[in-house]
Amino acid sequence: MHEIKTGFGDILKRQLELAERNYELLSDRGVRAINVMGAIGSGKTALILQLAERLQAKGIRVGAIAGDVAGDDDLKRFQAAGLPSAVINTGDDCHLDAHRVGHALKDFPLSAVDVLFIENVGNLVCPADFPLGTEQDLVVISVTEGDDMVRKHPKMFAQTDVVAINKIDLAEIIEVDPQRIVEDYRRVNPHGRAVLTDAKHGRGMEELLSVLGF
Amino acid sequence: MHEYSLAHSLLEGLLEHLSTHPVEGRVVKVHVRQGELLILSQEALGEAWRLLSEGTPLAGSELEIERVPVRVRCPGCGYQGDARYLAEEGWHQAIPVLACPQCEARVEVVEGKELVITNLTVEDRQPP
Repeated sequence: MHEIKTGFGDILKRQLELAERNYELLSDRGVRAINVMGAIGSGKTALILQLAERLQAKGIRVGAIAGDVAGDDDLKRFQAAGLPSAVINTGDDCHLDAHRVGHALKDFPLSAVDVLFIENVGNLVCPADFPLGTEQDLVVISVTEGDDMVRKHPKMFAQTDVVAINKIDLAEIIEVDPQRIVEDYRRVNPHGRAVLTDAKHGRGMEELLSVLGF
Repeated sequence: MHEYSLAHSLLEGLLEHLSTHPVEGRVVKVHVRQGELLILSQEALGEAWRLLSEGTPLAGSELEIERVPVRVRCPGCGYQGDARYLAEEGWHQAIPVLACPQCEARVEVVEGKELVITNLTVEDRQPP
């Protein structure tokens, strides 16, 4: 047996380079993009629609890209709200990646938007390893996923600076204490900001916008 | 389950590398460094490698994965070194915290997000 050094580089660096290319394209066009991640049913789409409505009221133009394994249900929701939108079907992949987003951005009417929400595939694990080139990341979790979500996915939360804890209107009914989620999150990410939201009824939206810097 | 797509990228990269830098003898081990911030199952990555490498010159080789601890740089106080890890009962893994171990400021990640093939263990050719 003998050893041979290869050193042909980091395969995730390729992802990072593609993400940087997306970031440059978006900055050139004056678009601020936000990567919205979270499990299936956490309320990502509803939250984006609520944020979009409030941003539009401030005169900020909003677009959205729906990332899903299959289907155009979320795309239709964005279209119904009148947002310039597109869909990326990953065809079984569990996450969006910078390459796919790059293709979608090429055809997207970027000159018609100031803010672009990119809704990732419903999954709280895999998207964390794939930067897309967005300016910010936002993770949405719902209290219905249980108060141990941070404890079950600590590395995701250690790397995410804004978290919306959604569906708090249901917390009491299902006997989940949202504060426990907030405390766990603070321990793994002392610089992170958690906001309690109820996207269905529009609660917590102004605070979330302010945390996102709007 | 993004282990398959990453195993596929590793395999493609290595096969391409070997087409321009051929080795004499069979590759038995592929040594990989995996940053601890990645959310990857080593078992799934190894299994994906075994399946995907079938029918290629790398068939029968094993991935040997070494975990790379997270290293950070602090723009506040200039600290550069290992990240602080949170080890609590019931978490079953140590969690890297992206705050400075010295001054608690937000840190930049220097190492811990990489997936690199560092070297290969190759069988010596039998003397004729």
